[in-house]
Amino acid sequence: MTEEKKPEERKKRRTATEAASRIGAMAKAMNAAVLQAGEEGEPIAYAFIYSGYDEIIRAMDIVPAWTENYAGICGAKRDAQRFLERAESENFSRSLCTYALCGIGFDSWREELGEMPPESPWGGQARPTVMLGSGQMICDPRYKWYQAVQHYMPDVPVYVSGLPWPPYEDDYDYREVQDYYVKYIVEEMRGLIEFLERHTGRKMDWDRLSELVDLSDRTWNLISEAYDLRKAVPCPMGTGDAMNTMVPMTFMMATQEAYDFFKDLYDELKIKIANKEGEIPDEKYRLLWGGGLPAWFALTDFNYFNSKGAVFPAETTYRLVEPVYKLDLPKVSDPLEHLAWRWVKYWTYRYDKARKRPGSHPDIEHLIEYIEEYKIDGVVMHEAFSCRSWHPGLIWQLNQLKRVYGDIPSLILESDIVDISSYNEADTRARIDAFIDTLEAVKSKKR
Amino acid sequence: MQVGATLSQYFAGVDIGSTMTKVVIMNQTMLASVIGPTGPEHRKLANRVMEEALAKANLPFDDITYVVATGYGRINVPFADKQITEISCHARGVGHLLPEARTVIDIGGQDCKGIKLKEGRVVDFVMNDKCAAGTGRFLEVTAEGLGVKLEDMGRLSLAAENKVEIGSTCTVFAAQEVVAKLSEGVPLPNIIAGLHEAIASRIYSMVGRLKIEREVALTGGGAKNIGLVKALEAKLSFPVLVPPEPLLTGAIGAALLGRDIVEQAAEEGITLVRSERRLREATLFT
Repeated sequence: MTEEKKPEERKKRRTATEAASRIGAMAKAMNAAVLQAGEEGEPIAYAFIYSGYDEIIRAMDIVPAWTENYAGICGAKRDAQRFLERAESENFSRSLCTYALCGIGFDSWREELGEMPPESPWGGQARPTVMLGSGQMICDPRYKWYQAVQHYMPDVPVYVSGLPWPPYEDDYDYREVQDYYVKYIVEEMRGLIEFLERHTGRKMDWDRLSELVDLSDRTWNLISEAYDLRKAVPCPMGTGDAMNTMVPMTFMMATQEAYDFFKDLYDELKIKIANKEGEIPDEKYRLLWGGGLPAWFALTDFNYFNSKGAVFPAETTYRLVEPVYKLDLPKVSDPLEHLAWRWVKYWTYRYDKARKRPGSHPDIEHLIEYIEEYKIDGVVMHEAFSCRSWHPGLIWQLNQLKRVYGDIPSLILESDIVDISSYNEADTRARIDAFIDTLEAVKSKKR
Repeated sequence: MQVGATLSQYFAGVDIGSTMTKVVIMNQTMLASVIGPTGPEHRKLANRVMEEALAKANLPFDDITYVVATGYGRINVPFADKQITEISCHARGVGHLLPEARTVIDIGGQDCKGIKLKEGRVVDFVMNDKCAAGTGRFLEVTAEGLGVKLEDMGRLSLAAENKVEIGSTCTVFAAQEVVAKLSEGVPLPNIIAGLHEAIASRIYSMVGRLKIEREVALTGGGAKNIGLVKALEAKLSFPVLVPPEPLLTGAIGAALLGRDIVEQAAEEGITLVRSERRLREATLFT
């Protein structure tokens, strides 16, 4: 039985910032709080990050259980295989999203046992009261995963809120259609609130919702300002740390704890910059993590890059905010309408830039912007094979970047977010070595 | 031990690949080369191949100015002065042997690499190191299934009149498929030509990420297989360049990079640190 397999423990990644080093304990406490809430009969919602409903859930005192996060924890602890294999034995294809497979495997096992699977990472994942899918263009598991989990929890209702945004086209102005999108999203959010009130017994506190929307706006601005500090040379914080600080950004949005965390991070980075303290003492190459979710079980690869003199001052992954004051939002009194506008304007933020550069695309503009602002020498991407919505586009993005912007050294790493069987440390590091050689060759040519 | 640029100018390149170990000794030209199997025991015995090369060149080890190790086993060369990745070494080797090349395809025993060159420097690369399809291992396994010597595969395939289509991408399943074709009575050359077509397709799609530019140089053991070379040329729609001994490209590049390092150090007045000139075997497991 696959259930007998023991996880392979791994040494921790070294963090550059004190703030990032606190994340493990924060995430663990967050999971413990969800388990505690479950024991006390509080309503728990399975939820996806970046689905536009953080403020709604929080304002209704419903406890979110971030299922992608739990799968990531299993991956980081190198204890996902038994859950993946469990889902596979239920006939789910191994080529599906491994976050979803891990979650489905875990849930089916928990439901069969009537308790947490043995030695579940961090005590396990609480049984939900409701499951909140998210119909949008990020990925299909966001609306199919919870439907699949209903095989094992038929009593737990699912609500899938549609959160579209105008697709990018270079020959029309998205503003022509943006109002329709906003109206649609607001209706979907009202439907979500109605669903939550019906199934959890909790009522929406509209004043609190307004306060939380304001808090998350301020948190967006603060995160942007803190991350902008990483433009400094030497860079005080790399992507390895950002893969930790994404926890309060994605799982704690609309909480004072998240705001306070980024205030601490901002202050810490200011001090490091004043002291000229970089992530590594001898910074030679500045790299952009240009796409793809990370291999959660191999975050020490960032330390390996560091050992070669490379730092990552920026990443497009998990940079899920923009300064709100730059989004050109209309002033509206309805907090739901504000959330809808912020959603649409966030996704269309680089549309105008892209239209001005023939052959470009908003994602390419994102790369170009960071390459220029963060003084980037090379781009690294990660093809996580099971993230089917993202990884097929990475090669295109790189090629298009080189076409519309110019040659820049690039590296594509290959493995997965959770499935460790896809990863080979020796081969990965051989690629990194070769990439460093390439960066050096390009730099020496410039000299 | 320290060395300036005034010592005898002999350079050694040691390329420990997954299946073959290659050593060259050069000054302005190549003085000696040795190609031997890597194998499980030989992985730690780079010293023996080096000894053989020194004997061929009639040089004591002390006379070697700089030693660069490359290949997947480069860390197993305790007497090397520097380790450099095979990407850089193949690029340097091809740049020297075939300066007109803009793209390098290296078909090794366990991996396959595509390298894009600009003015002799690596500007991009891709690697397949996860799947045996597209590497020498694919041919090795299928040759075994066919009962044919690996080195005969290329020649035999040239007699094909109607190559078969190999549907399996997986090496293990492809080996089963060719045995089934044999039992169906399909002529051997047609099967082998089909295998070459399959491996060429895999390589072409991987290296295609680089936007292949002419001229294309083929290196590694795969370049010694005329059937595979022809199949790749058919995919590319133009002829490829093959160095005189494609297995040595990485080792030659390593020796040349060693020379570059010494010359640059001399120009900049830097004293290089060299490893001890004692040929010893690597300790792999401590």
